[in-house]
This record gives sequence, C-alpha cells and structure tokens, in this order.
Amino acid sequence: MNLPASATSVRSFVSGYVQAWDWFWFTPRMPHTLGVLRVIAGVMLLYSHLVLASDLSSFLGDSAWMSNEAARQLHDGAFGFSDFGRSYLWHLSNPLLLWLHHGVTILVTASFAVGFMTRITAPAAWFLQLMYLHRMTGTLFGFDQIVTYTTMYLMLAPSGSCFSVDAWLRERWAARRADSRRLQFLLPEATPSVAANIATRLLQLHLCTIYLFGGLAKARGELWWDGTATWFSIGNYEYQSMDMTWLANYPRLFSAMTHATLFWEIFYCALIWPRRSRPIALALAFAVHGGIAAFLGMITFGLMMIGANLIFIRPEQMLRLISRGKTIEGQSDALGDSSVTSTGAGDSVEVHDEGDAQDHEEEFDDDFSLDDLGIEELEPDSNASDILKRADSDAPDSEVLQDQSEREAALARREDRLRKASKRLREKKEQLNANLEKYSERVERLKKREAKIKKLVDRKRKKK
Amino acid sequence: MPLSARVRIGLSVLILAHLFAVVLPPLSFQTAGSLGQSPAVATLLRPVEPYTQFLYIDRGYAFFAPDPGPSHLVQAAITDGSGETIEVTFPDREKQWPRLLYHRYFMLTEFLDEIYFPPGPPPELAEIDQAEAELWERQRSRYEHVRQSYIEHLKHVNPGKDVAIGRRERLIPGILEFQREPIALNDPRLLRIIPDVPVLLDGDETLTAPPETIPPPVGAAMEPAGTTMKRGTVADVEKEKKNTQEDFGPESDTPSQESTESEIGTPNDSKSKPEVAEEAEAEVAVP
Repeated sequence: MNLPASATSVRSFVSGYVQAWDWFWFTPRMPHTLGVLRVIAGVMLLYSHLVLASDLSSFLGDSAWMSNEAARQLHDGAFGFSDFGRSYLWHLSNPLLLWLHHGVTILVTASFAVGFMTRITAPAAWFLQLMYLHRMTGTLFGFDQIVTYTTMYLMLAPSGSCFSVDAWLRERWAARRADSRRLQFLLPEATPSVAANIATRLLQLHLCTIYLFGGLAKARGELWWDGTATWFSIGNYEYQSMDMTWLANYPRLFSAMTHATLFWEIFYCALIWPRRSRPIALALAFAVHGGIAAFLGMITFGLMMIGANLIFIRPEQMLRLISRGKTIEGQSDALGDSSVTSTGAGDSVEVHDEGDAQDHEEEFDDDFSLDDLGIEELEPDSNASDILKRADSDAPDSEVLQDQSEREAALARREDRLRKASKRLREKKEQLNANLEKYSERVERLKKREAKIKKLVDRKRKKK
Repeated sequence: MPLSARVRIGLSVLILAHLFAVVLPPLSFQTAGSLGQSPAVATLLRPVEPYTQFLYIDRGYAFFAPDPGPSHLVQAAITDGSGETIEVTFPDREKQWPRLLYHRYFMLTEFLDEIYFPPGPPPELAEIDQAEAELWERQRSRYEHVRQSYIEHLKHVNPGKDVAIGRRERLIPGILEFQREPIALNDPRLLRIIPDVPVLLDGDETLTAPPETIPPPVGAAMEPAGTTMKRGTVADVEKEKKNTQEDFGPESDTPSQESTESEIGTPNDSKSKPEVAEEAEAEVAVP
C-alpha cells in the first residue's frame, strides 16, 4: 500500500474543500446588489412603521390589544415559557414617550432606506425593529421575518456605499474624507469587500433554509399532495384580495400550481445555485410571491420576498440592469450582448460579441476593461460604467465551483477574444495610416499644382 | 487588503455558529412529534437557543403548512348601559386599512386561536401526572390572560361599556361542494362559533368531520358574494353565551378557572385540544 500517496490525496482532498470554503466566503464582492436591497428593505420597514403609527395605541402601551404586561408575560416565564426575545418596550407605557420613540424609529429607518449614515442607521434600524418584534408578539407574520433578516445581513456590509446619500456625501466631502479615518469608515467606497460577500452569502443561505423548511412543512400536509392547497388558499376569505374562485373550474390549473409550488419550494436550495437553473428558480419565486402579493392580500410579504430573491443576482448583473438604459446603444444586455465602443473617429468597434450561452457564468469575467485597449467610452460620465470598469479587475465571482480546466478554457476564450479585437484595431490603424499617407501625397500634389498655376499666372501678367 | 489566516478562521467559526442557529429552529419544528422534540436536535439547539430567540430566527417557516386551513376571527359583543349590544368582528378589511394594518389585526385573532387551551385540567389528571396538569394550567392561563388583554383594550376604546369576546372560525368550502354549488366565501353559513368548553368524554359522538370541509349547502337560498353576516348571529351569540358560559371571556380582571367539574370525566388525551375544536362542528351558526 502506498501510504504517502494516499496521504497526499487526502491532503489535496481536504485542501480542495478549504479552498472552496475560502472562495465561497472570502472572495471580495461589489456592494451594489446589497445597495438595491437596502433601498427595498428600508422602504418596506419604513412603510411598516408608518402603518403602525396610524394605529399606534392599539399595538403599543398598556391599553393595546396585547398589553405591555401580557406581551412581557409571553416571554418572561410567567406561563412556563421563558425566552430571550426581550424588549424594553414592555416597560414603556407613557403615550408621549411611545410617540417620541416611534418618531425616532421612523427617522432612523428612513435614513437607512435612503442610505444616510448607513454604518450607524442600519444596525440601529435593525435593533429597533427587533424591539418592536418582541413587543408585538401575536401580530407578526412572514413579512416581519424576512424584512428583519434582510436588514440584519445588510448591516454587516457597506450597503450604504452606493445608491445612497452616503455615496453623494463621499463625493462631496472627498478632500475632507481623505484625511479622516472616521469619515472613511462612515462613507465607505463602493469597492469589492469581503463583508459584502459574507452578508450576501448569509442571506442566500438563510433564504434557502426558509424555502427548504417551508417546503418540507408543506410536504407533511395532505392538500399539497392532492393538489387542492391552492384552492384552500384562494378560498380563504380573510386572505383574499382578489376573487380567484373562478379557478375552481380549472382543477388541472390549480393542482398544477400546487404541485409546482411544493416542488419549487423544496428544491429551491438546489436549483438556485447552478447558473442554468437559477433563472427558473427566480422566475418561479417572482410568480409565487407575485401571486401572494396580488391575490392573497400580503402585498408587503410578497414584495419583500421578491426583493430578498434579488440577492442571487450578482452585483455586476445588477449594475448592468440598472445602467441598461444609459448605455450608448441602449442594448447592452447583462447576458452577453455586444458592447459597442467608439474609437473616437466616428466609427464603432465591436469588442465583445459572444452570444455563447456557455459564457454566461463568466459573463463579467469575460468582459475586458476598455482601458486595456486605450479605448474611450462615449459616456465616460456614467457612474455605473466607472464601477463596471472597476469590477473588471475584480476576482471571478461565479456562483458554482469550477474546475481548473474550465477556468483555463474561460481564460483561453478571453485571450482569443482579446487577440481578435487587437488584430481588428491593428488593421484599422494600418488602414488609417495608409489613408493618411495617401492624403499627404495628394496634398503635396495639390500644393505643387497650385505653385505651377501661380507661376503661370505671374508669367502671363508680366507679358501684359 | 487580504484577510489573514487567523481572521479567516475566526470568521469561519462565527459563520458556522450562525448557520447552525439558522437551520436548527426550523429543524426542531419539523422533527418534533408526539414525544416532543428530537433529542438530538434539542441538544444541538440548546446552546444557540437564546441567540435565535433574540434575533427572532427561532421560526419554523411553515407558511400555509402543513395544510392551508380556515381562518379564525374574534367576535366582540359590546353592550352599553341601556343594554343595547353591538357586535364587531375582527379583522374587518373595511375598517382596518391599509392591508398591512388589517393583517396585523388578523394575526391577533389567529394568535388567540393558536394559543387556545381548553378549560381544565380535569382533577383526575393531577393524580395521574402532576407535571402535565400544571402545564395544562399554565397554557390555559396564558390563553386567558391574552383574551383578557383583548377585552381590556376593547373596554378602553369603548369606555363605560361591557365587552365580551368569542372565537369564530370561517370555513373554506371544499372544492367539490363549491363546483357543485358555488357559495360566497363570506357566507354566514361558513362562519361557526368555537365554544370554549372542557374536553369531552371518551367516545363522544360529536367527534366528526375535519374542520376544513363542510357539507354542501342545502335548503336556504344563498347570499350573493359580498354580503355581510346577518344580524341573526347576535342572537346566536347571546344564546351561545347563555348555553356555554365559557364562550365569552370573563369581564373581571382576574381570569377565571372555568367551571369544569360537572363536565369532565377522564380526558382522551391530556396533551391535545382536538376534541374541543371538533366538537364545535355541531355548533355551526346557521342564521
């Protein structure tokens, strides 16, 4: 038996796992998806607090539906069940103090939503939300869970570094920020960071857990198997926001919806990672949660779940989606469309024209920096394009593990594309040089002709 | 700046601990059975339980699961000094707006049903299993305190008036019945009173069909979609109140231990409440 050889293979096996773990958690990631998610979660949280303000005394204080005492007793062991879901709001009964507290909460949450002092307001908004959750036992549902979890992960990352007031302040106070470490912390750059990656991964995995156990819980029922669960959901008067009882006439349709929901939910945690099945998992998520929002009265829950699913859209793709309308041709697609740039001479050079679906996974890796070729973009003022350029230098951010040969193939394809683009540019340059030479000769010829004509005219004048 | 190996290891430990805390609570929900939590999962969960509770990640994520069922409402009878009674049902989408506010009210009424525990325990249980009897008392007490809190709130917003509340359940018509004869989802025949009575004796014949389905509607003409509950139910409520003293909550500050002595023999299963829920089948409020 060859012991050293087997020890080596075990070591390389373990080392492979360590590298994969390292790559999965500690590869720096751009913060732009988190920035978009911060806006969505912030607005949702703000809306929740504003709605609560419309009927505050029914939910907080001594004379609320669930009084301070009753809420406290549900957590402090008075009925034999003690937990750590504690809240100082159990002890706040003065209406003025409750209103002041709620006003501060709304201000903090609004600041989080617009990305103002996000390093401070994100954890503050999350903590205040937790205090409300532990006080408002009995009034909560799925929306409160997902919006709180999203906020929790967003506070771990520089989610306020883009699409935010912080980003605007960073530009405005650039000189002052350069000398102040405090300002550098408060107004972080929108550059790739490990914190952004960890926050993203944690929310992704949490979402997978929610769907997996949501699906498994459904699988324990009977109606999710016999296909009538959708009927019993839309047939619930208290949930109904649109009369969908006409579906009773289409049993094949509602039973198909039931089965699809069950299987999608259970297998979401597997389907969402590979690049080929991800669009399907996301499309079904949008359909299911869109349906819940539109027909089952839980608009906030449905929208927030759709928002949370955006975490699986890579920052580079998110940026492309956002800047889509700003590109020169207005046709720059996130998944491998051509990027058109100008040479400055009025004609266009196509530098990226690969429609190959094989390349989607590395769609951003396959793009190369325009600076590499010394080409100027027509819209250099676009903030998003600046970020895109920076992202080019980012480490590969594919969502699935690749083996070495795949990486090499991707690099080879990229190199090939660069060579072709370089060749095209060289040809263009040669053609321009040839033209220049031709025009110079022509100018010389014209000058000589002009001189001859001039001499001829002078001679005729003298004869006269 | 790349992270040092030491920082990566530290972060990895924290990440793993958090992921355990995320996965274990829903796992404990799914692995709980008639014997309680799975011992293995309970052991793993215990160290991270305070963390999960504070972060509010101690959830089961069982949305519309295992089966979507009927919704539960609270009906309040508010009586003024002259004896005139008005009846209010919660939630009410006409009165609670926007939808998120309505949903908060809806969750309040669902919560009251979720924590419901029948009056008791029967004296015999204390002799057989003292711990179980104490648990019963605590669970019943929790329900009564929350119910009393709801009553106090309604008294606060209706000063000088007497308030009594009862639980209601809105059934969902089965698909075959609905196909045969469509019925408005808010038809009063789908609303039933859930009485608050002690558990039944062995072999009681009122243990009947599951609450998700109702027999196909017969006889009386149906109400068009969108009609509200008929006034006749107020009389039903009053009748119900007289018949079952326990249906409406006590109006005193001290939650009562309802009179159970005359009702109870030996409970079928001291841990569950299905007998009460199913017994209510026989008391559907037909106007």
